[in-house]
Amino acid sequence: MNKRIYYLKNIKGFVFDIQHYSIHDGPGIRTTVFLSGCPLKCLWCQNPESQELYPQLFFRYDKCIGCGECISICTQDAIKLNGNVVQTDRNLCKRCFKCIKVCPNEARTVIGKEITSGEVLEEVFSDKMFYHESNGGVTLSGGEVLLQPEFSSAILELCKSNSIHTAIETSGYGLWESMKKVLTFTDLVLFDFKHFNDDKHKKLTGVSNKVLLENAKKIWHDLKIPIIARVPVIPSCNDSILNINQTANFISTELDRSIKVHLLPYNSLGKAKYKNLEQPWNCFSGTVPSDEKMNELRNILESYGLSVKIGG
Amino acid sequence: MNDRIKRMVDRLKVDKYPLCIEKFRIATRTLAETKGEPYIIRRAKMLSNVLNEIDIFIEEDELFVGAGASKPLGLEIDYEYGTWTQDEIDSLKQEQYSITHEEEAQLHELNAKFDDRNLVMAIGEVLYENEHLRLFMKSGLILPPWKGKKVGSGGGYAQSGLGLGPGFFLIGVDYEKMLNEGSLKIISQADEELEKIKYSNGESLEKQEFLRSVIIVHQAVINFASRYAQLAETMASIEKDEIRKKELKRIAKACRWVPANPARDFFEALQSFWFTFLLVCPSPTSAAGRFDQYMYPFYRKDKDTRKITDEEVLELLECLRIKDIKLNRVSGKANRKKNAGMAKWHNWTIGGVKCDGKDATNELTYLLLEAAKETKIPHHTLTLRVHDNTPIELMQKALEVVRTGLGMPAFVNDKSYIEFFLKNGMSLEDSREYIMTGCLDGNIPAISRTVSIGMFVVSLAFDIFMHNGINPNNGELVGLKTGYVEDMKTYHDFKSAFYKQLEYLLNLAGEKNNVELLAQRQLFPDPFRSSLMKDAIKEGKDILNRKMPFENGSVLCMIGVINVADSLAAVKKLVFDDKKVSMKELKAALDADWIGYKDLRKMCLDAPKYGNDDDYVDLIAADLYRFIEKTLAKIDTAYGGKIITTAISITSHQPGGALTGATPDGRRKGEILADGSMSPMHGMDKKGPTAIIKSACKINQDSYQATLLNMKFHPSSLRTDEDLKKLSFLIKAYFKNGGKHVQFNVIDKKTLQEAQAAPEKYRDIVVRVAGYSAYFTVLDKEVQDEVIKRTELSLV
Repeated sequence: MNKRIYYLKNIKGFVFDIQHYSIHDGPGIRTTVFLSGCPLKCLWCQNPESQELYPQLFFRYDKCIGCGECISICTQDAIKLNGNVVQTDRNLCKRCFKCIKVCPNEARTVIGKEITSGEVLEEVFSDKMFYHESNGGVTLSGGEVLLQPEFSSAILELCKSNSIHTAIETSGYGLWESMKKVLTFTDLVLFDFKHFNDDKHKKLTGVSNKVLLENAKKIWHDLKIPIIARVPVIPSCNDSILNINQTANFISTELDRSIKVHLLPYNSLGKAKYKNLEQPWNCFSGTVPSDEKMNELRNILESYGLSVKIGG
Repeated sequence: MNDRIKRMVDRLKVDKYPLCIEKFRIATRTLAETKGEPYIIRRAKMLSNVLNEIDIFIEEDELFVGAGASKPLGLEIDYEYGTWTQDEIDSLKQEQYSITHEEEAQLHELNAKFDDRNLVMAIGEVLYENEHLRLFMKSGLILPPWKGKKVGSGGGYAQSGLGLGPGFFLIGVDYEKMLNEGSLKIISQADEELEKIKYSNGESLEKQEFLRSVIIVHQAVINFASRYAQLAETMASIEKDEIRKKELKRIAKACRWVPANPARDFFEALQSFWFTFLLVCPSPTSAAGRFDQYMYPFYRKDKDTRKITDEEVLELLECLRIKDIKLNRVSGKANRKKNAGMAKWHNWTIGGVKCDGKDATNELTYLLLEAAKETKIPHHTLTLRVHDNTPIELMQKALEVVRTGLGMPAFVNDKSYIEFFLKNGMSLEDSREYIMTGCLDGNIPAISRTVSIGMFVVSLAFDIFMHNGINPNNGELVGLKTGYVEDMKTYHDFKSAFYKQLEYLLNLAGEKNNVELLAQRQLFPDPFRSSLMKDAIKEGKDILNRKMPFENGSVLCMIGVINVADSLAAVKKLVFDDKKVSMKELKAALDADWIGYKDLRKMCLDAPKYGNDDDYVDLIAADLYRFIEKTLAKIDTAYGGKIITTAISITSHQPGGALTGATPDGRRKGEILADGSMSPMHGMDKKGPTAIIKSACKINQDSYQATLLNMKFHPSSLRTDEDLKKLSFLIKAYFKNGGKHVQFNVIDKKTLQEAQAAPEKYRDIVVRVAGYSAYFTVLDKEVQDEVIKRTELSLV
């Protein structure tokens, strides 16, 4: 069943999850590789564990029995008992992860790991028969793939040389040089558009949108790589009629009317992860957009001649 | 659903089902009246008297007619297994069944009168005289454990446990013959053959008796239909509503013509089919076969002449589901528990290839799916045969039905089933006509039938092996003395000794099957079903007394193989490869049900597990499945064939687990086993659906009469048409690489709540939303609550 896998380059990088049978991250059945580290800090971030490049402690507070085993083994005095459960000062933590081994209830785990591009390929390649059947492939997501350009490009090159369709999911925020390197081996780009007002974009994500909009144009016009536009719909952040009109206008005129748009309704499922990372909650109080709202936005985009799908 | 169907569906919602003892009464009387006559004639007269005498009725809104019981929604009590004790009657009353005082008293009278041998007595007489088999049956290696010579393993049906019995043959009859030729033709053929008989050999009298019995039952079937015609005519004459009057007249006209004569249109074909199905029926395992194929010529003709519309066909197919769910036979309480109440396996096989290899999909294939989707009635079962050229649209349509939460259709792979029959010597054309009988066991209509299936608990065999042949549940020596596991020096020694033990126990199971086959042959000749098998009239033999072209009369079904494979892998890894633990310590931990061995249990749970695309354990599972099939293929059956292997747990992974002590895979004593046969142990698959499929593809499933892979999906994976299309590709990829069957459970709110309470059993549930994916059980409670809330809205 498995053909031989070929790879020459082996570059190390950081990944926080590899998800098989991904059905909402591009065409067909895919394996999505979630790369660690992100230069953006979107208020609604669903995967806060993706923001850090290095492996970090993931704490299941509801499993902690307050036994204190972790406190005694910690060399940094980073862990304290707070009520019935422990609390870790992430600034003091040196990520030795000794505490994980002694936790009797598996309340402490590591999220993220260092892995080689070859190891990623092997994991991705194991699902080749499903890509073949469904015209699927691999999607690199994150985090932000552009933050680890050498690693991303090495994985994509290996996949391509093993005849696996490649896609990346990106905010577009990164140096063009990095982008070019990654895109050399990319068949499809899932490009996130968050907000068209630069001030708002900065406020919502922490960075300017100028670079990424330029990058989008270059990908489409210079490199001629297919794009799917992905627009997260975050109520009271980017779901204004104006913003959606601007989004539609940019995609249909600056890029191309043939580009498909995926509208992704916000969900609050990622919220609890902040607690797991013992990060202060940024007080973002997003609500789930209603079906009516989603349809309204879809109609706007469609009036620009774009084809739109709700959900990935 | 139109208004008629809505009304009919509403009427299905009742608190209590009445019991029908009519058949028991008529059968008992007939047996008394016919003492001394040939047994097959007595059986024919039993059926004939039932059809001539049982109360019949036509319900409001019904478009075609025929009921199994004497009252609407009545549950037919079965007398063939044994008598109904007070204990059994009381438990019926406690559940959703009602019985009048008068009938209860009558039931006791009937019990007292029923002095014929029943199956339990017949089997018990043999098995309890043989020391090896007695201990074997007591152990529950074949479920469920027998309690005594005369009681079997509990009351009612359950006496024979989950194995097959009188009604439980897995068989597909020749419906085409009934639809296209009719009973009169069969009677005249039997008459001709009778005239030809020369009493020149030992079988001639048997043939004469068989043919006489065939004539008796087919005449009774014609009379049964005439009684309905008469009733419909009477009702029509007093009916005020003109539309209903017309409907009743149509029923009368059809029942005057079929099943005596060949059906002339779709409606008559359906009425003829239903009468036939009723009589093949009371069995909970009757199969309708390739309904979308043999009904298609009638559909096509009526459509071409504009005699019928798709709306009308859909309405009739929905009525068919309502008809089928009303058919019920009472089974003993143990069996009711095991099989979740009114469970039955009336399987309609749709799609697949025709006998020439071309795609068989037609409009009826889609309409049958639509009928299930609209009514959401769980019976009859649909199984979709899939081949390389099955339209993706058809698979998507089928998955729309799955998405309603009905759990069907199941998907089966033409390639693997056809390969199975070819391997057993059948022609390519015949093999391509295979159908689903029971849950998933393949049979070829009119050509093969399965009579006895024992549910063999492989994990208990392993437990017995770990105890040197002693059954740890009662201390009796049921197996071979294959040695103390502590003394085994290498994994090879360990595995070989286990295989030796398993081979011995499988041989005992084969003997038990044969005893059952022979007892059934004496007790349950069935002229009606037998007459609808290939060359029945010419052969002149009952179906239980014939060697069929494909002889799969004796089947053994394997339970708990995956747990044993995981256990072998844990032993290999921890005891022999890594030497992290001694066999002595492991055995002590198992005997202590892990109490005091928390760390060791964790090591065992962390050992390689089937379902994660890990060769270390997957190849052990593949080897074990192969060994079992090869071993059984050497064991003779009473019909002259060899034992055929199947592997579907149905619900036996629960009682099988209850009998099995702690196992080295980390499982606790008494804990449920892995379900199906290709599914991983619950919570042990950690890499998603593709890894499960890759593990399953390493097992040679083609040699099995059936295998079963259950997959669970959260509604978030089945939301859009695109999602369903991708799932279709997943199925196709599985089938192109050796899979045989897969079915899907859509996770509902209740399951998630259970998963919240017992996460270790539900580690495989994944919630998938664009940009977000997580294993449900690792989520924090508040997020879980959020997911549960949204699952109810069926959209995450």
